[in-house]
Amino acid sequence: MKVLALETATPASSVAVGEDGKLGAMSLHVDRRGHVSFLVPALDFVFSRLGWDPGETDVVAVDLGPGPFTGLRAGIATAQAVAAAVGARLVGVDSLSVLALRAATGRRRIWPVVDMRRGQIATRPFRPLPGGVAPDGPIELMAPEEFRATLECEPTDTLVVGDWSVLPEGFWSGLHRVRRGRPRYPSADVILEIASLKAANDEFLRPEELHPRYLREPDVAINWQRFRAEGVWP
Amino acid sequence: MSGPIVLGIETSCDETGVAVVEGSVVRSSVLGSQVDLHARFGGVVPEVAARAHVEAIRPLVHQALTAAGIHSDQLDAVAATRGPGLAGALMVGFGFGKALAWSLRKPFYGIDHMEGHLFAPRLEFPDYEPPAVVLLASGGHSQIVHVARWGVYETLGRTIDDAAGEAFDKLARFLGLGYPGGPAIDRESEGGDPDAIRFPRALADRPFDFSFSGLKTAVVTFLEKAKREGTLPSRADVAASIQEAIVDVLVDKTFNAVEATGVDAVGGGGGVLANRRLRTRLAEEAERRGVRLFVPAPRLCTDNGAMIAAVAVQRIEAGVPPTPWPEDVDPGLSLG
Ligand SMILES: [Zn+2]
Repeated sequence: MKVLALETATPASSVAVGEDGKLGAMSLHVDRRGHVSFLVPALDFVFSRLGWDPGETDVVAVDLGPGPFTGLRAGIATAQAVAAAVGARLVGVDSLSVLALRAATGRRRIWPVVDMRRGQIATRPFRPLPGGVAPDGPIELMAPEEFRATLECEPTDTLVVGDWSVLPEGFWSGLHRVRRGRPRYPSADVILEIASLKAANDEFLRPEELHPRYLREPDVAINWQRFRAEGVWP
Repeated sequence: MSGPIVLGIETSCDETGVAVVEGSVVRSSVLGSQVDLHARFGGVVPEVAARAHVEAIRPLVHQALTAAGIHSDQLDAVAATRGPGLAGALMVGFGFGKALAWSLRKPFYGIDHMEGHLFAPRLEFPDYEPPAVVLLASGGHSQIVHVARWGVYETLGRTIDDAAGEAFDKLARFLGLGYPGGPAIDRESEGGDPDAIRFPRALADRPFDFSFSGLKTAVVTFLEKAKREGTLPSRADVAASIQEAIVDVLVDKTFNAVEATGVDAVGGGGGVLANRRLRTRLAEEAERRGVRLFVPAPRLCTDNGAMIAAVAVQRIEAGVPPTPWPEDVDPGLSLG
């Protein structure tokens, strides 16, 4: 089974292809804005590395977030297009699981962090399992103070991974049972692993189920007052 | 009659437009309008637009291909709007189109939205060819372009403040007519007298440029005074007079450009060109001066995928190489 994995949920975009969970080729690029210019050249590169034709793709896996919205949409639109063009099936993963799976190291609970901008992060706790991780709570948007308070209440040793460098100075002081670690960004090779497991369990999404995980309503200031009261006719 | 078969995708603002064009024939054209979504905000909200595009794009592409009776293998190319427009919105259609083309092993063309408007009349009028003067007016842009030949464009004049469509939106809101303002004022004007009130026509000293911000001030001042004095005219009269002021300016400046360039063809594109009064006045003026007028049906004036495909058809026929894969959207793209 040939799988294409797309990762655009953070400033680090990556594309990976592989067969039966084994990585064949990967391309990676860090740029806050460059998702659209990166994706297709990267696809072209990884497919030609393996001498594959796009039409051979069985599964397209994509990160649905959480993460900055523009990147998410670039990845999802690309996944939709490739899957529609070649008749591949779709798998959706979440960025926090991708981070946690790569971080998995023994006994610590893992809190992956994705920068959502505007002073918020997205996070969710994971519990380590032999050979993997399992989510241990809901995905949440938090301000740094909330996240710190949450970590203070952690009953066990904790590992924070992801883009924790966006947290303010002094965030870590006094958090004695918390360690910081890698990876900083999710990457497509891990998506490839998750996708192969999901595909084996028949956990596919229909194209109309492939929604970005926004966690936040669009920012619009609705000026009802002005909208209604302006003018001389009611 | 045939020619290259191109899938065109347009997502620069608040309409997801997808079409299949074969040569100059529109095989299908479908639209996922977001007007209802944005109506509650009284204008287009970029993040709302981008979210709607990413939900709509795949089903609309499917619908356009099905309606055209075309299998994706039969396409000669895929085209998508590259700019100008809202960055987040552009990225959805451009990203989808590029990935679709790559997966199908077909060439991809990134197209200037405004050039799409310049080309749209071709889909209705086989004899529409440059040189021509084209009036482009919508909620996002208002300009007069001299098309010397395909690919050679000179913007002769543009709005120095609000776009014509924006002026309609703002004034419609002020009249309590809702959003979008153009169609609302068009409807309200039906029973009104366009000569009831003489609102100012700005920039008489600049033959090809527009300005609409003064009109809003004039309308507000006029209405406040009329209300105070108890001489408030009917809303239909005010709407018709506002419409006449905007239309007058657009028509005058367009034909100033016709005169200055000596062309004998006038085209039109953009949502404002769906306005019935503007269409009538352009037709009368063209008739009077003996120039040919090429303003297509309203569905080809407003944003659509067919006009994007039409540009790509011409590119292919002219042997222009496709857009390189690394190309990104360009929200600030502007015609010459
Ligand atoms: Zn337009």
